Amino acid sequence: MSEESLLAGIKEAHSDSIESAAVLQPRCISVVAKMDGFVELAESMKTRFGFTQPVACGGVDYPGEQRIQMIYYAGNPEHKVMLTLRVNLPRDGPRMPTLTGVWGAMDFHEREAYEMFGIEFEGHPNMIPFLLPPDWRGGHPLRKDFKGEGVTQ
Amino acid sequence: MTEPIIKPDVMRISWGPQHPMSGQTRILLDVDGEKVHKIIADLGFTHRGIEKILENRSFFQGIIPIERMVMADTTNIGMGYVSAIEKALNIEVPERAKWIRSLMCEMSRINSHLYAFGLQAEATGYFPAVFLWTTVDRTILLDLFEELTGARWSYNFILPGGVHKDFPEGFQAKLIKGVEYLRRRFEDYWEAMVENAVFEARCNGLAVLKPEDAIRLGATGPVLRGSGIPMDTRKDDPYAAYPDLDFDVITEPACDVMARTKVRYREIGESLKIMEQVANEIPEGPISTKTSFFVRSKPAEVMSRVETARGELGIHMYTEAAPNPYRVKINSPTLRNMYVFERLAELDEILMADIPVVINSIDPWYLDSDR
Repeated sequence: MSEESLLAGIKEAHSDSIESAAVLQPRCISVVAKMDGFVELAESMKTRFGFTQPVACGGVDYPGEQRIQMIYYAGNPEHKVMLTLRVNLPRDGPRMPTLTGVWGAMDFHEREAYEMFGIEFEGHPNMIPFLLPPDWRGGHPLRKDFKGEGVTQ
Repeated sequence: MTEPIIKPDVMRISWGPQHPMSGQTRILLDVDGEKVHKIIADLGFTHRGIEKILENRSFFQGIIPIERMVMADTTNIGMGYVSAIEKALNIEVPERAKWIRSLMCEMSRINSHLYAFGLQAEATGYFPAVFLWTTVDRTILLDLFEELTGARWSYNFILPGGVHKDFPEGFQAKLIKGVEYLRRRFEDYWEAMVENAVFEARCNGLAVLKPEDAIRLGATGPVLRGSGIPMDTRKDDPYAAYPDLDFDVITEPACDVMARTKVRYREIGESLKIMEQVANEIPEGPISTKTSFFVRSKPAEVMSRVETARGELGIHMYTEAAPNPYRVKINSPTLRNMYVFERLAELDEILMADIPVVINSIDPWYLDSDR
């Protein structure tokens, strides 16, 4: 099964809960999801479409459009295709349900996104700082307006 | 680390970062006597913000900081970043340059695996000599790198559009000589270390990671192949000259520490095979297409995946009309394998004394996981 036929299957099964879907490049597909039913969509990606191998997750900050895009990466060991599952969050107080229930290995990566972008993951089992020091006061480093001020107070 | 201890008999021990075998990380171990109940990794001691640094550097300048992620394996990391740039800017690479890239990636992989192999010998506590052997044998590779690139450690040799320089005169003959020498040495390693009764007693059946768990927990690289799953980015999403090269994906069915060690050992043999092929069959032609140092990009989004010595490295790059990338997300292999290491105490019985052996079997490089 190629990336096109996988993508067609995903589009057909979840036309309600996805905004857009495309082949990003050979062996890599991109699905932009709506916030409603995001966890169910991820669960279906894992169980029905074979994206059983968690890879990572992270964000991209768009201050001009007042949004942060959260991206989950997962691999399909059978067809060797990588999925990038995206969801757009508001830039002020971004919150979303955790996907650690679907892919357990997103634990580390969601903690990283929490401190780097300030995204709150509801239901995450262990939401504590990951790479930054425990007494960090400098804000969220990977947001575009981070200037490196006040980090040593 | 705020998580409370659950059972009354359990003691929490802080292991590292000053422990001789820990590297730059701290691990919290909940132990009941010798038995480890729970492992909690405390990463971030070497966090340098490489993703943020890359946003503020031009495409060419970024090659220098990103290669500092894994010093023993700089070429493979640089390869991932440069191929992301090439995809974003639509730069063609000549055939000869692709072959030179593959050669350097394999030399880098051997270099890194030799280091891991030596550390594994150190961790088992019986073979201090093997670490010295691998260190000496790495100088063979470093001499070859010096001859080719002018540097022994960080090369910045793979550039967008090709490579920096062509082979110097007589380099192919030196390559063959180096490969032959290393082949002889590997027979010694096998007898002295892998087949040694003490090493077998320490490593056989330790920290078993079943294939389904390896996939579920997101293991990658030799850890995944040590659980018998033949996944290798060089075959699954080919780059450089790998489609034209003849090599096998190494797997071991035993799923334990010994299997991961053997995968690394046998992968060195495959890498030597590739080095020999490049020395004998490299095509003639130009080595780079001219690319300006001050190149500007168009808005694009690309994903580049390469197989480093520790597993799959993913570089997800966003560009806009600017001389620097908008955002670079690095999916590092060590971070994925560290999560597997955290869960190993739940999957199999691990004793306190085995922790150095088990953690070295995933070949961690904390500058890679912390970025």
